[in-house]
Amino acid sequence: MTIEVKLANIIADPGAYGALKPVDDAFTELRRDNPFDIAEPDGYDPFWVACKHADILTIERQADLFHNGDRSNNLLAKDAIRMARAFSGGESNIFRMLVTVDGAEHRALRAVTFPAFTAKALQGVADDVRKIAREFVELMLNIGPECDFARDIAFLYPLRVVMQILGVPREDQPHILKLTQQLFSNSDPDLNRSGTDVTPAQAMAAINAVMQDLEAYFGVVTQKLRAQPAENINSLIANARIDGEYLTHRQLMGYYILVATAGHDTTSNTTAAALWALAERPEVLAQIKADPAQMNGFVEESIRWATPVKTFMRSATADTELRGRKIAKGDWILLSYHSANRDEDVFANPFDFDITRKPNKQIAFGSGPHVCLGQHLARMEMRILWEELLPRLKSLELAGEPKWTKSVFVVGPKTVPVRYAVN
Amino acid sequence: MLQPIGEPAFRQYLCRYCGYVYDEAVGDPDSGIAAGTRYADLPEEWICPQCGATKEGLDLIS
Repeated sequence: MTIEVKLANIIADPGAYGALKPVDDAFTELRRDNPFDIAEPDGYDPFWVACKHADILTIERQADLFHNGDRSNNLLAKDAIRMARAFSGGESNIFRMLVTVDGAEHRALRAVTFPAFTAKALQGVADDVRKIAREFVELMLNIGPECDFARDIAFLYPLRVVMQILGVPREDQPHILKLTQQLFSNSDPDLNRSGTDVTPAQAMAAINAVMQDLEAYFGVVTQKLRAQPAENINSLIANARIDGEYLTHRQLMGYYILVATAGHDTTSNTTAAALWALAERPEVLAQIKADPAQMNGFVEESIRWATPVKTFMRSATADTELRGRKIAKGDWILLSYHSANRDEDVFANPFDFDITRKPNKQIAFGSGPHVCLGQHLARMEMRILWEELLPRLKSLELAGEPKWTKSVFVVGPKTVPVRYAVN
Repeated sequence: MLQPIGEPAFRQYLCRYCGYVYDEAVGDPDSGIAAGTRYADLPEEWICPQCGATKEGLDLIS
């Protein structure tokens, strides 16, 4: 038995994630009728689809049995995989970074910046984050009574926070934002490099071009920071050594690119989706304003609601079994975090936005050894922004139609037009 | 580590942010926490070795 092609094609279609409902409908059906089976969309190698919350936890917490880097860790068409292999000099993934390596290499790379991203360490930058949040709140209130919250605030605030922590000068930040959007939204003509609809192979060629631009930028950064180390994350990366040696060129570039792009894009997406949800639910805004203790529940539910990373791939390192199905060594497995975060077995009324869920067992950051390095920073950024913004808002409503980006990987609202009044 | 006679059973705690399990019988040797260290006796500065959550981020599971 396999997943019918119509459903399989939806799972692999960036446009379906832009519309969202086809994806929600497809995964609701799969969770109910066929929770772990093989899909083979047109043009893709076959892969298992894990759509249940419990199955994704099982897979992610057995990181030795289910590897990130042996095959593509993104859902790519066959021709895009061939191109990634060519661009990377024969590796499975175009980037060599935390999300595409396993075992000892993963542990060593993660240890380079882990101390800076712990919940305790981040308390040391909370005042700086609040200062930046206040700047953006003032900006929003000044440009009111309407703005595009995604483009005017949400894309820029986490970018500024992360760039400050990394040590990227402010004048370079628009360049990094543009390259990030070209990287993660390579299927969306509103944000990608060519400004047009592209084939999977064209998207991969564009990713390679973005990678070259990022490598050019960070090549200079490495030279500067090795000559003159600084108190920031980029300096940790530039000067890191594993077994006495600097990181290889691909490890180094992959690390910079990961923290400089994934470090803000997913938080931007969640922030924009959260305000979209509030604009449609004045009662939730009133609930938070009346009881600020609900803020953490709002942040956690926003993360579940947005689930900005829709999919990652794993591959089995040995023959194994899940839900009574036999997985062969080498099999490719899609993890749908979007589906897991709407799993009826874990979340009552999963299509309701409910800030009172307790506990909220969302797994948008993943789980296990590959859990998102920046999850505590992301939560802190969002909580601080809402603490500064929401008490200032008297009213909030949509002033146009928000739109999701078209991607099977990182998805968020690319526009959230809102109208608001200030207290 | 073997359960000392007459003492409460060793317990396990799950990090709600990443799924790491702190097993009192095992401790957290990489962080200098000896086998047999009770969760309650973990130093306040201890963090989840997998995700960096604070000690309060773990829940009793068994």
